[in-house]
Amino acid sequence: TEWNVSVWGKRRAFTEHIHKLAELVEEKTGGEFTMNISYGGLSKNRENLDGISIGAFEMAQFCAGYHADKNRAITVLELPFLGVANLDEEVAVSHAVYAHPAVAEEMAQWNAKMVMTSPMPQYNLVGTGDPRDELSEFDGMRVRATGGLGKAFSAVGGVPTSVTSSEAYQAMESGVVDTVAFAQHAHLSFGTINQADWWTANLNPGTVNCPVVVNIDSYDGLSDAHRAAFDESVDEAIDHYLANYGSLLERWDSVLEEKGVQKVMISDDELAKFREVAGKPIHDAWLADMAAQGLPAQELYDLVFSTLEKQRMSN
Amino acid sequence: MAGSASVLSDGSLLSRIDKRLEKLEWVMAFVSGIGAFMLMVLAVVSVTGRNFFNEPLPGYVDWIEMAMPLIAIFGIAYVQRSGGHIRMDILIGQLKGRVLWFFEFMTTFFILVLMILLVWGTWSHFDRSFDFSAPNWSRDSSIDIGLPIWPAKLVVPVAFSVLSLRLVLQLIGYGRALVLGLDRPVAVPLVQSAAEIAAAEAEQI
Amino acid sequence: MTQIEIGLWVTGGMFVLVVLGMRVAFAAALAGMVGLIWLRWDQFGYDPDRFGKALEISVKIAGQVPHGKVSSQALSLIPTFILIGYLAYYAGLTRALFEAAKRWIAWVPGGLAVSTVFATAGFAAVSGASVATAAVFARIAIPEMLKIGYDKRFAAGVVAAGGTLASLIPPSAILVIYAIIVEQDVGKLLLAGFIPGIFSAFIYAALIITMALTLKNFGPPVKGFTWKERFVSLPPALPIVAVVVIIIFFVYNPFGGDAWGTPTEGGAIGAFIVFCMALWRGMRLPELKDALVETAKLSIMIFAIIWGVLIYVRFLGFADLPSAFSDWITSLEYSPMLILVCILLAYAVLGMFMDAIGMLLLTLPVVYPAVMALNGGEFVSAADSTFGMSGPMCAVWFGILVVKMAEFCLITPPIGLNCFVVAGVRPELSVQDVFRGVTPFFVADAITIALLVSFPAIVLWLPSLA
Ligand code: NA
Ligand code: NA
Repeated sequence: TEWNVSVWGKRRAFTEHIHKLAELVEEKTGGEFTMNISYGGLSKNRENLDGISIGAFEMAQFCAGYHADKNRAITVLELPFLGVANLDEEVAVSHAVYAHPAVAEEMAQWNAKMVMTSPMPQYNLVGTGDPRDELSEFDGMRVRATGGLGKAFSAVGGVPTSVTSSEAYQAMESGVVDTVAFAQHAHLSFGTINQADWWTANLNPGTVNCPVVVNIDSYDGLSDAHRAAFDESVDEAIDHYLANYGSLLERWDSVLEEKGVQKVMISDDELAKFREVAGKPIHDAWLADMAAQGLPAQELYDLVFSTLEKQRMSN
Repeated sequence: MAGSASVLSDGSLLSRIDKRLEKLEWVMAFVSGIGAFMLMVLAVVSVTGRNFFNEPLPGYVDWIEMAMPLIAIFGIAYVQRSGGHIRMDILIGQLKGRVLWFFEFMTTFFILVLMILLVWGTWSHFDRSFDFSAPNWSRDSSIDIGLPIWPAKLVVPVAFSVLSLRLVLQLIGYGRALVLGLDRPVAVPLVQSAAEIAAAEAEQI
Repeated sequence: MTQIEIGLWVTGGMFVLVVLGMRVAFAAALAGMVGLIWLRWDQFGYDPDRFGKALEISVKIAGQVPHGKVSSQALSLIPTFILIGYLAYYAGLTRALFEAAKRWIAWVPGGLAVSTVFATAGFAAVSGASVATAAVFARIAIPEMLKIGYDKRFAAGVVAAGGTLASLIPPSAILVIYAIIVEQDVGKLLLAGFIPGIFSAFIYAALIITMALTLKNFGPPVKGFTWKERFVSLPPALPIVAVVVIIIFFVYNPFGGDAWGTPTEGGAIGAFIVFCMALWRGMRLPELKDALVETAKLSIMIFAIIWGVLIYVRFLGFADLPSAFSDWITSLEYSPMLILVCILLAYAVLGMFMDAIGMLLLTLPVVYPAVMALNGGEFVSAADSTFGMSGPMCAVWFGILVVKMAEFCLITPPIGLNCFVVAGVRPELSVQDVFRGVTPFFVADAITIALLVSFPAIVLWLPSLA
């Protein structure tokens, strides 16, 4: 069996678990089950879910925020200020939500089945000019942030400004935006860190959620041995991802130092104010909106917090 | 090049249908042109808003992406009608009479087959983004301001369907010329030499 | 059959269709469609019962491409650039430019020809298309040159060659297309075209002056314009300067501050200025309607090739052909520079028979990865590279080289379209006359290309600042 896997960009921390999964599966099946990972050759990133539904390829990665209407249920994971503190918690929360029947049902409409998440740390801001460490300074700030994050910043007077991630560097350089919200690896790979004067270390407004899915027919069509090899490898692939991203985060401080980027800490008072304005109201709006569309919104929402609690107790 | 080749007409039914369809095709091409104009207006609004009022146009990129299929594809049948899609005519320019009509018939037939398949494929692309029971009938939305994408996706199969109609007409036109051995058939773009194309190009400027 | 073999058969079939006169856009799309079906059915072991499934999957894959690939902010530059060109005509910018160039520089030997070259270079700053530029100047500049005794063939050659500058000097539709296909920064490529474009213009001018100094009875200089006359000629041509400044400033601020926006916005603001100018010069609704429909036709034609070729490219992605080709190229035991020169020569030959945009779109998906591999890969640093430049810089350099090659082909026989256009506009000239007149400019272009290959800094200096 050879599977085609559609991802985008270039190989980076964000795709390491997929490479690891391919490696493990090949190893466990003695080379019988291989994966051919293609960076953009098979589909456009925003159409990976379509590709899965057509049967164009067997496995793919996508992000919920690219097309909220395709995957309403998992947008709960992109709400601002969920309070997810680290990548382990992000994995636990994501996988709990992925296992919910409402998510499985929505994915089944795309002939897709969730495999694992691509956990990302909180999307903190880099910016040019004087550091913005008070809420009042977010007023009129042009910020590159999508989905729930965009909503959070506009709640405090920021102006979410749409540029694609590949244009983010230039948008920052040209003053189209003042600040860009990304995870660390993306600040590195899209070069926004080179343009920045400061980085918010503890704003932690939220993150985006990017699952890896398989085509249901292809998955069901695997021989029992191959399917077992695949299923067994998922946890190990995620562990590899976490270890790899962890080392990137360890390097992060030295990257900041090397590029001369100031680490900005925002006071607890300011953070509390931000959460108050941009947290609860946006959560409530999401709950009302999704419930109106017939999703078990409250259930999904509660699942996030109960999972967080459980995860913290077990540590 | 995108010059307009000459398309002859007479009082025949084929020619009258050709003229009727051309009107529709022209309107569609004009809509594409207006789209290009709106692109310019949109940028002016966005830049002035951002620089003078600190009020950037929300979803600027989303709107551009929505408009692009309209600009880039909607009027495609009009271009085909006038033989405006580029090709290499170094060989076909040498041919005359039935041999020429045979080659024209064959390549047009291939294009028709392609377009019918693409109407199917692009319709399915639209259909996946469309859900009658969902809010805004949307099952696919844009990245920043969540516009439903299905209208932009629908543009493509519609444009390709009109193009398919046009290709059927051209097939009939070439078929007639092939069977009857015509010299100057109606309702099909006539092959022009490079010099004629250049003259037409120059005429436009 | 292996994937590579299927890839080669389909690619060969596509070129046969193109030679048989099938419209390039559709030949590429059909090849891609057939290739996708073939690959999938091959995967299914040619089981007749599963042909339907292979067909359905392939058709749906191909069906994603037109909408998906066309919906791009970067590609929105193409209709904008085309619109500028049409509006510029109604704004009366061409005559104004030629008049200003004549009054300021026609005093040098071969003056009127030199003026024409610089006027076409100026017009290139609002026009994205070479052929249109040649057609416009054939009307304006050739009669004036003939009036003062220029050789008619030479006068025609100057215009045909000058027209080619439009595709290097931004705005340039073909550079945007290149940037999209190879997924590189549009702004950097547009900036990179600027100096080579001006550079080409100076080489043309040097050639003309040399000829005027050495040949007898060569077009005399035009003297006697007063300073007042010179300055009076400037204001009507000013919108060109405004457009150039705006496009440049939207990509990169030479004074070290922030750029003003994105290239997309710069192009649109430039179009808006020319639009206002055209309104002021008396363009009304009927003319605007014409300009819009013509813009639509040209844009749609270019986009059809783009999505058609991208269906073929999607098939290549599944067949893995580009990486096989670049593996082969890098395994050759010739020097990389020699291979690069051979690739450029192959473009020169192909360009004799094909339209520039079609040629680049059909070949780049396979050739570009190979060139990048020759240099040491897409992400190579300048220090580790073969040609002494980083991956992205190599992409820019190669882009300018192939576009210059493609432009060179616009003036070479047998299909050199610029020459046909010039002959088409002037009743007193045959195509042979124009081809003869343009011959000296082959030398100029050959020198330019050799210099761009030997001194990449000419191309890379400006984009490396941004
Ligand atoms: Na130009
Ligand atoms: Na002539």
